[in-house]
This record gives sequence, structure tokens and C-alpha cells, in this order.
Amino acid sequence: MKSMIASGLMGAGLVLSGAASAQAQDCKIAVGSVLSITGSMAAIGSAIGDAGKLAIDHFNEAGGVNGCEVNFILRDDQGSPNVGVDAAKTLVEIEKVPVLLGAIQSGVSLPILTSVTVPAKVTQISCCSSAPSFTELAREGGTQGYWFRTLPTDRPQAAVLATIAAEKGYKKIAVIHVNSDYGVSLATRFRDDAEKLGIEVTGVTPYNQEQASYRAEVNAALQAEPDALFLVAFPADGATVAREWISFGGSQNLILSNALRADEFVESVGAQYLENAYGIDNAQVEGESVEAFNTSWKDAKGSDPNGPGLHVMYDAAAVALLAMEQAGEADGTAIRDNIRKVTGGEGEPIYPGAEGFKKAKTLIAEGKPIRYVGATGPITFDENGDVTGPYLIYGVKDGELATLDRWDKARVEAALEKLQ
Amino acid sequence: MLQAIADGILSGSIIALGAIGLTLTMGILRFANFAHAELVTWGAYMALGVLSLTGAFMGPLAPFSFGVPLLMATLVAMVATALLALAIDWLVYRPLRGRANHLTLVFGSFGVSLLVRMVILLLFGGAAQYYSNTLQIAMKVAPGLRIMPDQIFTLGLTAVIVVALHLFLQKTRLGLSMRALAENPELARVNGIDTRHVVRWTWIIGASLAAIAGVLYGLTVQLRPEIGFHLLLPLFAAAILGGVGNVFGAVIGGLIVGLAESISVLFIPAGYKLAVPFMILLLVLYIRPTGIFAGTVGGGKS
Repeated sequence: MKSMIASGLMGAGLVLSGAASAQAQDCKIAVGSVLSITGSMAAIGSAIGDAGKLAIDHFNEAGGVNGCEVNFILRDDQGSPNVGVDAAKTLVEIEKVPVLLGAIQSGVSLPILTSVTVPAKVTQISCCSSAPSFTELAREGGTQGYWFRTLPTDRPQAAVLATIAAEKGYKKIAVIHVNSDYGVSLATRFRDDAEKLGIEVTGVTPYNQEQASYRAEVNAALQAEPDALFLVAFPADGATVAREWISFGGSQNLILSNALRADEFVESVGAQYLENAYGIDNAQVEGESVEAFNTSWKDAKGSDPNGPGLHVMYDAAAVALLAMEQAGEADGTAIRDNIRKVTGGEGEPIYPGAEGFKKAKTLIAEGKPIRYVGATGPITFDENGDVTGPYLIYGVKDGELATLDRWDKARVEAALEKLQ
Repeated sequence: MLQAIADGILSGSIIALGAIGLTLTMGILRFANFAHAELVTWGAYMALGVLSLTGAFMGPLAPFSFGVPLLMATLVAMVATALLALAIDWLVYRPLRGRANHLTLVFGSFGVSLLVRMVILLLFGGAAQYYSNTLQIAMKVAPGLRIMPDQIFTLGLTAVIVVALHLFLQKTRLGLSMRALAENPELARVNGIDTRHVVRWTWIIGASLAAIAGVLYGLTVQLRPEIGFHLLLPLFAAAILGGVGNVFGAVIGGLIVGLAESISVLFIPAGYKLAVPFMILLLVLYIRPTGIFAGTVGGGKS
């Protein structure tokens, strides 16, 4: 009992001292993050946390945000939505963080967004959640603009594929897709985009994974005798579908989703049948700003930043801090309103690293516009908080996977523009 | 519709071959052998193993996608599968038979089926494989009907095997003993039939047919360690539909299950296709628990 009172007093003392130091010049700002340090995503989670920490260290090195030192508070969601929501609640209500970075899985990010950050008017930036449902929610106004993510969504993929299909002169296209959130959304989006470009989509046939034969699905898609097939699948099942499609006399004009860019797929189907096929995948971003991140990661960690989520997490943290600096206050709504002022546009480019952030702080103090060009290259958030990235078009040449074409962001955006 | 019927007959004939073996063992040994479907997988993979050892030393026999090597590999696979079946019987079922009740045997067969599947997984890996990587392009037989030569071969072979098996059960001494044992084990024993001899041949025939079914499945669909697992329900549905112990019944049962699965996709989403054999099984058990052609080995009451 005595110790409880003692710790209660200590807690009160901490709160008091925190409040007191906020008045002082060497103030502190907390940035919260919910990531999977344990659980199913544990293998990548703590490295992603390190990437976020690196951005914050760089900013502190550059003098902190508005003269305040930034404190990075990382909480574990154990890969589970309810633990994640609890962690986010603690960060928002007790630590009073104005911005929350995370989570990794869409299934964790979504409940945090709807039940914690949006009601508390805290900006949430995710490095890694790619589910299309966020775009849907943002469009319906459910995120109130507090949601951003630095990972390119699959939205542009359909647009680019449909644009190429139209250029190739395909008139009738059948769609066979894996019956999952990913498959359904990519297939419907492709259908919408293709129809806008004057291509008839003869049917959208879902398939369930792990079946030995997809003859029924293939037959259904074949009925209208389309001159191309858009296949959204994973390599093993995709090969089964493609084999049956081709041997039942389907057109060898195949359009492939990003997951089919695998040697296993080409091998099982047979490269000679895939010469007219093309597909899309995310391209590895290149450029000076990416190098700047890679170098500083190597300096800090002693290894190359090879792993999912590192570049995107660094950018998520950097964008949040720059927006805070631009806003001049650590407030969720102010961060939300300033994120687009420090990304995109025509301002002075800012690269990752302490030097870059120093330059940004000077420019902001002078009232000059800045534009963050991050570890993933130039970043532009659309009205739903989504970013686009560069893509590559792949195909099969001389029996092997090959890159046929590259689409940079400008080209992708032009294609999206046309389909609006 | 035409295509669905053609596909249904094809997959039905493969189910039929597997179901013949199942119905024989169920009728004569009087227990539901869940490991039977794994014999199908085993046969298919044994042929693949032989093929990869010998290599395709001869080109394919036009217009089929396979040649003499696969036919020889199939013969080896039949022997290997029969040996496996005999080994399983000797190591697992015989010690249990007589001493334990039927349920113990059924659970034993579950264990065996898992074991066989895991051994295949260990030896060949889990990825889908094919006997030949060249695709066979289907011929357009009629508007809306495409058939591959391999499929015609499958149908023809099934028909030949069924007729041969029928003659065997009707005309030979061994066939007659098998039917007798299925009809009434005690009476058969009293009449001096060597049951162990008959049981052995039941395994050999059932396993060989399972191996052929496996090879045909691998030829027309693909090879994966779950072949048997996916065929388990269709096989049981076909065997029970046709009446346990009835060879012709199993063939008709197999065709009905195959056709029902294939035609159902015209009316329901393809994802629910797997439920069709279940439905048939339930319906048969409700309406005619002894099967449509309830009777003895060899077909009918002839």
C-alpha cells in the first residue's frame, strides 16, 4: 500500500516535471509508434522501428522540432488488433502524442485509425499497410484526412495495366482473380479502368486458392472468347490457371499481376507460352535521396537497409516531423494540414539525414517552401493520403523474366489522371 | 454445358478407377480405408519418380503428350503401389484385424494416410509438378467443346479396365472367390476359400487401379501431394453411391460424382464445387444407405 502511494506520487511528480519542462526552452515532443515487435510480423518489426528511430535521431541532431527534442515512443502490437488499439490509446491519451506512426498490418492500422487516432484528432502515418479499404474509407470521409501512408497502394497497377492493354489494342478481356481482398480489389479496379478505356471486360471470375484444377473457372472465363486474360494470382495457383487456360485454347495474350513475377511461375507454365504476356510490379526506387538514406542507415547500423518497410518507415517519420516544424506546433490537426506543404509542390528539395533536416529548418524559418524527397524518392500524397510509386513492366524474354519497360511516377500519374 | 459434361465424364472416370479399389477393399475387408486415396497419390508420384530416373528416352506418341516412358513408369508405379498396400496391410491392418473393432482400423487408416502423404512431401516436395512441361492444346471438337487427346486416352483406358475387371470377377476362380468373400465371409471360409490369398489379391488389384488413377490424374490435371486428400470424398461418395463392393456401381458412382461436380459450376460459384460430393453422399445415405446398386462384387445380382 505504501509503495503504491509512493509510486502514485512519483507518477504525479513526473507529470508535473513534464509540464514544467514544456514551458522551458529544452522542451520535449513525443512521437508515438505502434509496430509488431513480437507476433507474426516480428521478423521485420523491430528493424522498421529502427528506421523510424533513425529519422528522429537525425532530426534531433539537426536541432529538434521547433527547438524541442523529439522523443520516440515505440509500442508493440504483438500482431494483434486489440493489443495495437490499447497501445495506441496509451500513446494518445497518456503520452499525448500528436502523431502516430504505424501499424504494419492493415488489420491493426484500421481499428487504431477508426477508434483511436481519428476521434482524438491525431495524425496517423503508416509505413506498411497496403489494404485498399483505407482508400475507400478516406473517400467516404471516415479518416477526416488524418490517415497517410508512405507505401504505394495497388491502385495505380490496374490503371497502368489497363492503359497498356488499350495501347496493345485488346478489345475483350476476361479476368480471373484470387478470391482475396487483394485479388478482388485489383480485379474490380482493372475492370473499371479497362471499361473507361473502351475495352469490354467479358467476365470477372474468382478462384479459391490451393485447388488442383481450375478447369471450371477457366471454362467460365473462356465462354466469351476474349482476346486477352488478366490473371491476378500467386505463382503456384497462377501456373495451374495459366496452363489450363492455354491448353483449353485461351489466348496467350496474358496480363499478369505483380505477384506472378516469379521464376516458379514461368517455369511451371513454360516460357514459350508467355512470350505475349506482360505484368506489373513495384520498381525499386533509385536516386540521390534514396542513396542518402542508404548511406546513413549503413553508418548507423553497419549493414545495408535490406528489408521490407525500412525506407517507407523513415519517410513516414520524416514527413511527420517536417510537417510539425512547418506547422510550428505539435498538434495532430496542424500536422495533418501541413503534410502536403512539405511534400510535393515546387519547393526546395530536402533529402534524408541530419544535414537535410537542418536545411529544411532554415528554409522553413525563412518562410521558403520545401519539398521532402525521401528514402523512397519524391513523395506526393493524394487526397486519400495515398502515394504512388514507380513501376516496372515485366515479361518473358529468352525463357526468363525480363523488365520490358519502366513507368516513373509522372507517367503513372498521367495514366491515373486520364482515368479520373 | 457440353464442355461441363465432357469434363465431368473425364474426372468421373478417374474417380471411378480409384473408387473401384476402394469399394473392393471396403466390401471384402469390411472397413473404410481412408488411406486408399493416398495410394492414388503414391502411384502418381512413383510414376514421376521413375520418369525422372529414366528420362524421356523416347519422344511422345502423337497426338498424346506422353510416350512409352510414361506407360512403363505406370507399370512400375502399379507394382510399387501394390507393394505399399501389402506392406501397410501386413504392418498395420493385419495386427489390428480381429483384435480391434472397426473404428480402430478406420483411425489406423487415417494415420497411414497422413504418413504416406508426408513421405511423398518429403521425397518430392510440395510444389505442383507435371509429367511433361509441354502443354497440350485442346482440339475444338464442336462449338463450345474442347477436348485434349490425353483425355480421350483416359476415357478409353478406364473403359478397357472396367470391362476387363468385370470379366475377371465373373469368369475366373479368384474373381469368384472375391465375390463370395464379399457376399458372405463365413460361408466363403466354410467352403474352403483361402481368405488370406483373396485379401492379398484384393489389395494388389485395388492398389494397381489406384496407381493408374493417380497417373491419369497427374496427366490430365497435375501432381501435388494433396491429390489423395482432395479425392478422398469423391472416392467415398462414388463407392457408397454405387453400393459397397459393387464394381460397376463404383464406376457409375464415379461418373455421377464427376458430372455433378462439373455441372454444378454452371449454377453455383465454382468455390462451392467441393461441397457437391458431400451433398451427394448425404443424399444417398438418407435415401438409400446401401447405395443405388446395392449388391455384390461384380455388379448386379447376376
